[in-house]
Amino acid sequence: MINLTINGKQIEVEDGTTVLNAARQNYIKIPTLCDHPNLTPYGGCRLCVVEVKGMRVPIASCTLPASNGMVIETETDSLKKSRNVILSLLFSERNHFCPFCQVSGGDCELQNAAYDEHMTHWPMQPQWTNFPVDTSHPFFILDNNRCILCRRCIRACAEMSGNFTLGVEERGSATIVVADTNVPLGESTCVSCGSCVQVCPTGALIDRQSAYLGHAKDMTITRSVCRGCSLGCGIIIHTRDNRIVKITGDYENKNAGTLCETGRYKTLDEKRTCLTTPMKRVAGQLTATSWDDALTTLAQNLIPLKGNIAALASTRLSVESLSAFKSIFVDGLGSNMVTSIEEGRPTALQAKYAEAKHESIEGKLDTLRTADCVLLIGADLTTTHEVASFYIKRNMPKGTRLIIVDPHENGMDDLANINLKPKAGSDEAVFNALEAAVIKAGLARTDSKTSKVTLEDAIAICGLSEEDVTDAAHMLAEAVAPVIVYGKGITTSSEVSVMEATLRVAKLIGASDVERKGILSIKGEANSLAAAQLGLDEQLEVKHEAVYVAVGDDYVAKRLVEKLEKVPYLVVQASYESALTERADLILPVNIWAEEAGHMLNTEGRLQFAEAALTAPEGVRSNLDVLNEVAKQLGVTVNDDWRTALTKRTSVVELELESNAS
Amino acid sequence: MTKPKISSDWMAGCSGCHMSLLDIDERLLEIAELADIRATPITDLKEPDESGVDVGILEGGINNSSNEEVAHRMRSRCKVLVAFGDCAVFGGVPALRNMCGTQAALQRAYVDIESNDASGKIPNDPELALMSNMRAIHEVVDVDLHVPGCPPDPDVIYYVLKELAQGRMPEIKDENLHWH
Repeated sequence: MINLTINGKQIEVEDGTTVLNAARQNYIKIPTLCDHPNLTPYGGCRLCVVEVKGMRVPIASCTLPASNGMVIETETDSLKKSRNVILSLLFSERNHFCPFCQVSGGDCELQNAAYDEHMTHWPMQPQWTNFPVDTSHPFFILDNNRCILCRRCIRACAEMSGNFTLGVEERGSATIVVADTNVPLGESTCVSCGSCVQVCPTGALIDRQSAYLGHAKDMTITRSVCRGCSLGCGIIIHTRDNRIVKITGDYENKNAGTLCETGRYKTLDEKRTCLTTPMKRVAGQLTATSWDDALTTLAQNLIPLKGNIAALASTRLSVESLSAFKSIFVDGLGSNMVTSIEEGRPTALQAKYAEAKHESIEGKLDTLRTADCVLLIGADLTTTHEVASFYIKRNMPKGTRLIIVDPHENGMDDLANINLKPKAGSDEAVFNALEAAVIKAGLARTDSKTSKVTLEDAIAICGLSEEDVTDAAHMLAEAVAPVIVYGKGITTSSEVSVMEATLRVAKLIGASDVERKGILSIKGEANSLAAAQLGLDEQLEVKHEAVYVAVGDDYVAKRLVEKLEKVPYLVVQASYESALTERADLILPVNIWAEEAGHMLNTEGRLQFAEAALTAPEGVRSNLDVLNEVAKQLGVTVNDDWRTALTKRTSVVELELESNAS
Repeated sequence: MTKPKISSDWMAGCSGCHMSLLDIDERLLEIAELADIRATPITDLKEPDESGVDVGILEGGINNSSNEEVAHRMRSRCKVLVAFGDCAVFGGVPALRNMCGTQAALQRAYVDIESNDASGKIPNDPELALMSNMRAIHEVVDVDLHVPGCPPDPDVIYYVLKELAQGRMPEIKDENLHWH
């Protein structure tokens, strides 16, 4: 521990704490601009200067480590004067005229800092130079005229998304923020995660969608969970008048503020038409009807078909809804075909394996943070689980190696240290080859002396060269903390032997042992794991007289619509019009994600409560309400103990069912 | 004790600050009780008394020789000079033209603008004031008090006038400090 004095107050902080953070921990406010709690200190703006006894000049506190016996002053007249000059210099550099700026009036950290110093004017006038404005990006605008060169955006691009698109060009007061080698943002390597916009302290980076729709003080804030994929990133939903103005990353959650394009922007770019009233097919035409009539019609049509009904649910539904769904159709009606619209493609194989072995084989996403070598097999994280790709990418400059095994094009191809393109469907052979190569190189961490298949045989099946496989084996086995990330490429296989091969390699290279579980699967949609735990992971075969599809606000794959084309009676519980609702005989309109609360179980088994941020339009009910109503109509009881239901089956990853809310 | 004399004038601005001043509504009578309101753009008297006033208030910045004259006249005739509103304090909206230069701004406004026909030309009457870069008042004459805002809030204006009318210097901070 370190003892120091700030403004006469004796303070004790942990080793390595900066003076700025020491002050913060003790409720002493030091103004800052370039500093951001989630980014590496940079010391660029100098606004946080403090006086340290014995030192000749004021020093930036954000980059100054606290040391024993330091005596620090933060509010002397001389410091106040310094801060005033620093702010004056910042204002004099560019166009910081507040009346025509989006963030003026509470959301601008530069303006707030000036207010805090009681600045009524700029002692130095601006130098009237025009800087470029980049409006080429679909989601945000970069206005260098509002920029104070704090480089938060650049650090966010590197440290949060690991994308390294943003940087600076020129020097001194001519410095500008640019994308790549000064290409328009819209044509750059930007992946539209929006972290730069979230951390910008001024109006230099503004969101197209939320611009001029109000300031933080006008918004209602809801802490929730992103339902874009199974990672379950924490989001903050900013609403005004029952409309979502923007979504930002939650710094308090595991994702520490990072989101991807899907979570931050695409979710709000909704083009589908909402369903607002129940509809039933009368004389071949879908006709609006009342809830009472819709539910009576449902009962009339389904009760006689009991035992001949298949049911499908979206894996975006809450755990509560999925559990009620299962309770109705499996326990209540005894249907033999109750599954999810993912049909277990991203989860069934490993779930089956874990259940058979009674062992949770997978680790947590945190292992990616410390991984020094990642084997990414059969998974394109950039298209489906992008934040996980950020976790890998941002560690690569620190030396983390990436090995990609994917027969198809992969969004991370350019970053791979070793890129293996085996024959499609030969993942087991790839693992067998790796196993043989590791043993042959004498790098095995276990006592294994022989591989299941010889290197030559395995290579012949997967079509890779011995040299490539040997290189990959060396890279993996020589790593201190290797991690294997697998996706649909593996899980769509029906052979449990693929899982066995995966685990053999994991053990062999030390990715998975008693202390560490460096093996993860990314699974599918938000509640993919919950659906698997509830057993909703069978492949769909429709030979039934009726099918009930609880699709919620999810998209429906073409192959599913085709499979359901000929069903005699189709009930669809959905939020949006789709090819499926067009075919439906009965439509029950339900809330979209932001309109209903519920628990989500992410890919690493972490249960989180997602709050509702919007009030649904009249006539539209929550998924859970509708399911409960359906149960009542069909005369079955719903078991609402979903926690127990989730744990009936050994999970592929240890479940943490202590959620953040109840 | 005689009531302090207050005078105001406007330069390169939109007169919105004076509109905001009128927005203090019936509280204007209170100010009139406390102070002697002399020449303003909205009273009959058009120039501050040669004998001097206690408080001079200037809206707008300085972007030509005429404004410069107004500023110097007010400065020489008042004890406390108030820069009133964002144009007076920072340069405000008219200062945008500094980014492209006065000539380019004139060309755009009088010749190239879409609503013009081919006869558009830049006014060049020798009696017109000479154009300059837009400047905040403190770049031309000393200012004693800056009241930013676009326009300043009526409550802020009321507070400022009430304090000045009673011989005190207002403190522009916290809820009274707005730059927009």
